[in-house]
Amino acid sequence: MNIPAPIKTILQQLPELPPTLALVTALNLLRKQLWPEDDFAWLTGRSVRLEIADLGRGVTFGFDGQRFVTAEQPADVVFAAALADYWIIARRQEDPDTLFFQRRLTISGDTELGLQLKNLMDATDFEPLLQHLPQGLRSRLVI
Amino acid sequence: MPRKPQLICPAGSLPALKAAVDRGADAVYVGFKNATNARNFAGLNFTDQQLAEGIAYAHRHGREILIAINTYAQAGRVAEWRKSVDRAAEIGADAVILADFGLLSYAYQTHPQLRRHLSVQGSATNFAAINMAHECFGVSRAVLPRVLTLPQVEYVIKNTPVEIEVFGFGSLCVMAEGRCILSSYATGQSPNTHGVCSPAGFVRWEPEGQRMRTRLNDILIDQFEAGEPAGYPTLCKGRFEVEGDTYYALEEPTSLNTLSILPELMKIGVSAIKVEGRQRSPAYTAEVTATLRAAIDAAGDAHYSVKPAWQDALTKVSEGHQQTLGAYSRPWR
Repeated sequence: MNIPAPIKTILQQLPELPPTLALVTALNLLRKQLWPEDDFAWLTGRSVRLEIADLGRGVTFGFDGQRFVTAEQPADVVFAAALADYWIIARRQEDPDTLFFQRRLTISGDTELGLQLKNLMDATDFEPLLQHLPQGLRSRLVI
Repeated sequence: MPRKPQLICPAGSLPALKAAVDRGADAVYVGFKNATNARNFAGLNFTDQQLAEGIAYAHRHGREILIAINTYAQAGRVAEWRKSVDRAAEIGADAVILADFGLLSYAYQTHPQLRRHLSVQGSATNFAAINMAHECFGVSRAVLPRVLTLPQVEYVIKNTPVEIEVFGFGSLCVMAEGRCILSSYATGQSPNTHGVCSPAGFVRWEPEGQRMRTRLNDILIDQFEAGEPAGYPTLCKGRFEVEGDTYYALEEPTSLNTLSILPELMKIGVSAIKVEGRQRSPAYTAEVTATLRAAIDAAGDAHYSVKPAWQDALTKVSEGHQQTLGAYSRPWR
């Protein structure tokens, strides 16, 4: 799933703030449901950037002790992968270590913070979230 | 027909545990979020609540949960390791996997009803050592270090009443299991004391264009060119300059794959086959468990052969450039 060149050019011009705001808003809404036991002390005052490698654009966010917030670059840790590979990871079709071995996923900066985030995602039970989706869509998402 | 060995799969999280159970693991091995566990990685492993849920899930499906408390108790902190054994007993684990003889003794005396397995980190490679663990601490199963040939594994099995578990798939290391302090040379920490070969806090990956450098506590241990597969950031798998040549001076990143010798492992009486990789994600656990389940179920058949689809599935998730039978096949003497 490569991004077509004309769309890529447009996407590269767009500001990063709107998608970042959407992400932190979603994270704040879902936090208690998905991660009831995590106080996110490990992320407090730190920042993470998820970058789309073939686009050079991404989202940068952190945690202020109470809520997920937008953050400035440079982030403490930066993940970079193609959009298609983020989608593969999100659907648990392949594990991030495999993509790392194959050089499709890179992590730079604070590796420990990155590992915390990776392991949080691995440990997350997305079932409560998926229950709100219509059956048709749900069966397409669940592997 | 030989008895089918149990399939023992790794889980570092609740979704991975459920994936292992769903895809046919007979038992899942896990660890606590502390230094008592040889996969003590940031954010990995189970909280008490997650583990209780995992044990209930496995038991509901007729499977077992084994808890690895397989590092060595550190001076002045023995209580932490003992407490972990107590917790394992309280929450209803089916067995604990231990390496430290002091801890084995504690578990034997305090929780005699809790089955004890000798961890690979216990580094017992001969039947006398295994039989001693059996006589002194009632060990019912031993996990063999990955250094023995098939005939040597068979020889051990013939001379012990203890069940023998061997590795069937996963990343290999230098396999000085239970004795490796190599990483402490760079970081001051080692797998047997802190539960992790290369603590993430010491690891830095530096992209430079298409090239990537790996540093461990600032020491450059490897550099990958564009498209070259990467490995875990451990000292043993680094490339070093030796007398003017730069190469994998200790070991190349490699994965063990025993699909082709499963019938032999069954014939010699192996009780259980273990998959490495508690640090991996649920997708890995699901893929490897399903593949090994299918292969073990087929391995008793006289016409057994390795299906290309199994090989492909395991190759995809492997670390390094190649897969190997490791020490199992060593035609030279």
